[in-house]
Amino acid sequence: MVGHVARCVGQLAVALLGIVTVAFFLMRAIPGDPALYMLGDFATTEALAALRARLGLDLPVWQQYGVFLLRAVQGDLGTSVVTGEPALREILASVPPSAALAVAGMAIAVVFGVPLGIIAAVRQGSAVDVGVMLLALGGISFPVFWVGIVAILTFSHALGLFPALGATSEPGFWKGLHHLALPALVLGLSVAAYIARLTRSAMLEVLGQDHIRVARAMGVPERRIVWKLALRNALIPVLAVIGVTFAWSLGNAILVEAVFSRPGLGSTILKAILARDYQLVQAGVLVLAAAVVLLNTALDLLYATIDPRLRQR
Amino acid sequence: MSAAFELRGLTAAVPGEKAAIRLVEDVSLHVHAGETLAVVGESGSGKTVTFTSALGLLPKPGRVIAGQALLEGVDLLTLGPEALRRMRGARIGMVFQDPLTGLNPVFRVGAQIAEVLRAHLPLSRQAARDRAVELLARVQIPDPARRVDDYPHQFSGGMRQRVLTAMAIALGPRVLIADEPTTALDVTVQAQVLDLLGDLRDADGMAMVLITHDLGVVARQADRVAVMYAGRVVETGTVAEVFAAPRHPYTIALFRSIPDIEAPPGTQLAPIAGSPPEPARRPAGCAFAPRCFAASEAAGCHATRPPLTGTGHAAACHRQGALEIAA
Repeated sequence: MVGHVARCVGQLAVALLGIVTVAFFLMRAIPGDPALYMLGDFATTEALAALRARLGLDLPVWQQYGVFLLRAVQGDLGTSVVTGEPALREILASVPPSAALAVAGMAIAVVFGVPLGIIAAVRQGSAVDVGVMLLALGGISFPVFWVGIVAILTFSHALGLFPALGATSEPGFWKGLHHLALPALVLGLSVAAYIARLTRSAMLEVLGQDHIRVARAMGVPERRIVWKLALRNALIPVLAVIGVTFAWSLGNAILVEAVFSRPGLGSTILKAILARDYQLVQAGVLVLAAAVVLLNTALDLLYATIDPRLRQR
Repeated sequence: MSAAFELRGLTAAVPGEKAAIRLVEDVSLHVHAGETLAVVGESGSGKTVTFTSALGLLPKPGRVIAGQALLEGVDLLTLGPEALRRMRGARIGMVFQDPLTGLNPVFRVGAQIAEVLRAHLPLSRQAARDRAVELLARVQIPDPARRVDDYPHQFSGGMRQRVLTAMAIALGPRVLIADEPTTALDVTVQAQVLDLLGDLRDADGMAMVLITHDLGVVARQADRVAVMYAGRVVETGTVAEVFAAPRHPYTIALFRSIPDIEAPPGTQLAPIAGSPPEPARRPAGCAFAPRCFAASEAAGCHATRPPLTGTGHAAACHRQGALEIAA
């Protein structure tokens, strides 16, 4: 167990280093100058040079990278050139609304996706199966920003059920949930579609296995066979995909936040990219990457509780 | 005495392009309490299909189109799904061929046995677990109180077949169907599992059906034998009768294809040439005629299907009278 955790931490470090390195060089590869952005088009050459020197942008890129890494391992991700606040604090401040959206979206995806996939598998070839799979195809094919706009037009504009804005400054849990519902649904349904398809194929495979035939021959009720004996087997590949789709839905969350004018990591990072706020972008990417890697590590540990064959390694 | 389990004219089919394709045809068998009936035949002869059909477990789109499956006088084929489910596992148990894939990999073996018990009895979790430990002890798994919490991958093949046997006998069924229970096991373990099944049969007075293609197993374990070929029973009788004087050319050929340890070195085995016909391509006459050493036009082997004739020891062959002299 200790070895397993140590290995996970090691993998986490390697993954984060790789991601942050790519983000670092990508930001510097795209054209644009943060000093120019801050001081404006009419800044003097001297002022620009002075600011660049203060920000460390006059050093060769590989030296900037070295300095960045050295500070990063000490927990210092630099300060935002736009606001002057520590970049990490700025990013962490915009995590809660994004986390709420992502968690609610994933919850919706699992709550809808898994049962729909099971029902489709049990009634393979029936109208229910075809319906669920068509819906799932739609959910995968339509981009979230389009679904988001359609959802606003339908549920906010026409039916008036949910607010068009995905966030509110008013306090109160239920108020916040009411605003969160529509964006979470839009984000969740695309993932739900994917999970439903995967659950269906995993269930079909498991239901054809020998041990299910044995359970049937022993008179175990079909309901127990499907929802207990087969489901636990089918959940193993589904869990693996939840880890992957989480990263994918973080990307979608940025789009959903934009459609619903919701604050969060998406808008913060988008603004930072446009302003060439290198430090803020790096901190943002690091936090997103850490979230994805940590979730996948947690899922790895969860597999072992579901699949006993993984435990002894 | 009426049979514990009896099939009468069982016919199962899958839909075909023109007509239904019959997988097994007009199969009639019976087995009494305390007795073992061996069902022998090549792969694809319909041994397994016969019994999965009788239990309502034939995968779709296969279905039974004629016949009866009488379990202590009750025709299983007339029961609704829920009534049939209550019979399966409780009154008639089944042990399958491959113990390595027969247990659910993500549940403890005790939980799997408990699942079977609780499917039929209103037992508490603890009571079901206690019963599971007793059952593991009954199938001679060492240290059952500890092993009950192990997962299938922690058991060897032979031990897994014991666990599956424990599940099959958990509710004291009157009939136990063992479908090639030792085919997937090491030779050294085969005898142990067969002995266990025999002991359980004797202790509980169960009727046992042993599906196998191993004539050695038949000689050792069974009281009576039914030989199947291309979906039909071609010969049936007591083991003594059939082994002493096989009447069907297929049975005779089966005996000839067994290696004999006392044969002089260099003796060639006599395999049966060709392979059994697929269900959709069975010939009009006797299905074995194309491979038969005794088939003749005069006897009508290629034209009409021979009925199973004889009381007690019976065979389905146009030439059985002539063969007894020849063999």
